[in-house]
Amino acid sequence: MKIEKVTIRNFRNIEKIDLTPKPGLNLFTGNNGQGKTNLLEAIHVLASGSSFRRATDFNLTKNDADGYELESDYSLEGRRINSGIRYSLDSTKQFVINNKKTNFSNKDRLRVVIFTPDDLFLIKGSPSKRRAFLDFILKQISGEYSYNLDKYMTILRKRNIFLRKEQTSLKSFKIVNDLFVENAVKLVIQRINFVHILEEVCRYIYSQINEAGSDMKMKYALSFEIESDKINMGVLQSALHQHIEKNRDEESRRKKTLAGPHLEDLNVYYDRRPAQIYASQGQQRNISISMKLAELHAFHSIKGFYPILLLDDVLSELDDQKKKRLISYLHQADFQTFLTVVNTDGIKIDEIPNWRMDEGRLL
Amino acid sequence: MRLPRPLEDLIDQLQKLPSIGPKTAQRLALYILKLPSEEARRLARVIIDVQDKVFPCSICGNLTDSDPCSICSNPTRSINSLCIVEEASDIIPIERTGYNGRYFVLNRGFKLMDDSDPADMDVQPLLHILNDGKVQEVILALNPTIDGEVLSRFLATVISGHNVKVTRLAYGLPIGGDIEFADEITLRRALEGRKEF
Repeated sequence: MKIEKVTIRNFRNIEKIDLTPKPGLNLFTGNNGQGKTNLLEAIHVLASGSSFRRATDFNLTKNDADGYELESDYSLEGRRINSGIRYSLDSTKQFVINNKKTNFSNKDRLRVVIFTPDDLFLIKGSPSKRRAFLDFILKQISGEYSYNLDKYMTILRKRNIFLRKEQTSLKSFKIVNDLFVENAVKLVIQRINFVHILEEVCRYIYSQINEAGSDMKMKYALSFEIESDKINMGVLQSALHQHIEKNRDEESRRKKTLAGPHLEDLNVYYDRRPAQIYASQGQQRNISISMKLAELHAFHSIKGFYPILLLDDVLSELDDQKKKRLISYLHQADFQTFLTVVNTDGIKIDEIPNWRMDEGRLL
Repeated sequence: MRLPRPLEDLIDQLQKLPSIGPKTAQRLALYILKLPSEEARRLARVIIDVQDKVFPCSICGNLTDSDPCSICSNPTRSINSLCIVEEASDIIPIERTGYNGRYFVLNRGFKLMDDSDPADMDVQPLLHILNDGKVQEVILALNPTIDGEVLSRFLATVISGHNVKVTRLAYGLPIGGDIEFADEITLRRALEGRKEF
């Protein structure tokens, strides 16, 4: 998928932008507060209907304007598609693809993967960030996963209610517990299989954008112990059943479910040591970029095309060597990237299509 | 403007009905107002009658105006198979398939997230039927949702020990549907439940 044209009207501080990006890397430079991120945000809104900065449509509209308009032309596996979104302050919002009104589950819509400075928390942050990362991709590529996850969450809530009310001796607790284990294991298996694929892709990308010698690894961390090294449905089910049985007193004391995919983690290692503790800011950033790029490749191998990559201010904190490697990787990649930077030191800017942003205008 | 009191009362009552909003209620009320007197009286009478004369069958729980209901008292229907459904309204579509066994109606929905525990359910009438020993197969015809799944599992534990086969409806594609547009979960269930051709 490649964007050929973007039109933005009255969006944030942008009054009017008509951009014709190039198929590979597109660089946007400018000082703070000039509208670089707003441009990425506009593309994100075109793809998903909402901002990645938790802004409402009202927030997104330029001061003094009565609504915003976004439009894009893009190619998708040889087809040319036009999509547009029009919002006006009286709260009507219309999304069209090829002049037909539609919604954001339309399979021809623009697809993006976004990386913002917040994504650094993928390494540093709590396990919930990494679970959300896995769940987000898995939900996109598998309807079955999405269904299982919803079902698991419902059963988990019910199981916790039983524990809170000390009703674990009821017949229905046993039924819910069995269902809980069955669904937990389905999710765990899908996650483990996916992490295997993701790790392979991620390590390859990491080696491309980093100097030789350093290495990264990923491992899915279960919330219960298994004895056999072979992992399958049956092994996991009996292990989880055993774990729950062993920790029954602890569970009834704390009145909540203490094992299951809702508590599991994706461990990331830098040179065989936990990246969370041992990797520097810059290294953590590079690992999380590799993970996001791996997400992009996973999307490609399953859907058959690449989404658009939006990178917001990822170069800061990287040394010149790492900057160069990342830029040249993106420049040669098969997918289209929109990258914002403040500081162009260490970038051979003449070789890359670039625009300067100033007070909401492209120069 | 204030409507005449009786008309307002009627609109209020109609609005309490499911899927009836203020506008529809008003339209229905005005329609009723214009009906010939005899028609209006008949409408009022059937509303009272339906409450007085229709009750659940003492054997199967189906709605009926004579006990036992027409299905339970029909000697040509087989007692070998017993189909368990949530509501009496579920019987209507199953009847259209030509199913010739008997039913058991739970007459109660089950929502996992509400406080209801399936074990609170009165299963005595069901055990009563099973204790006769004539039923050979129980068909669980509950909705393919988590609620239906929990309820099915609960009923299976109730039935176990009675030496009857317990089956549930197959998951799969609707007839006349298009595989292209089937969601992957349904399609996967259909693949799992495929039959030799």
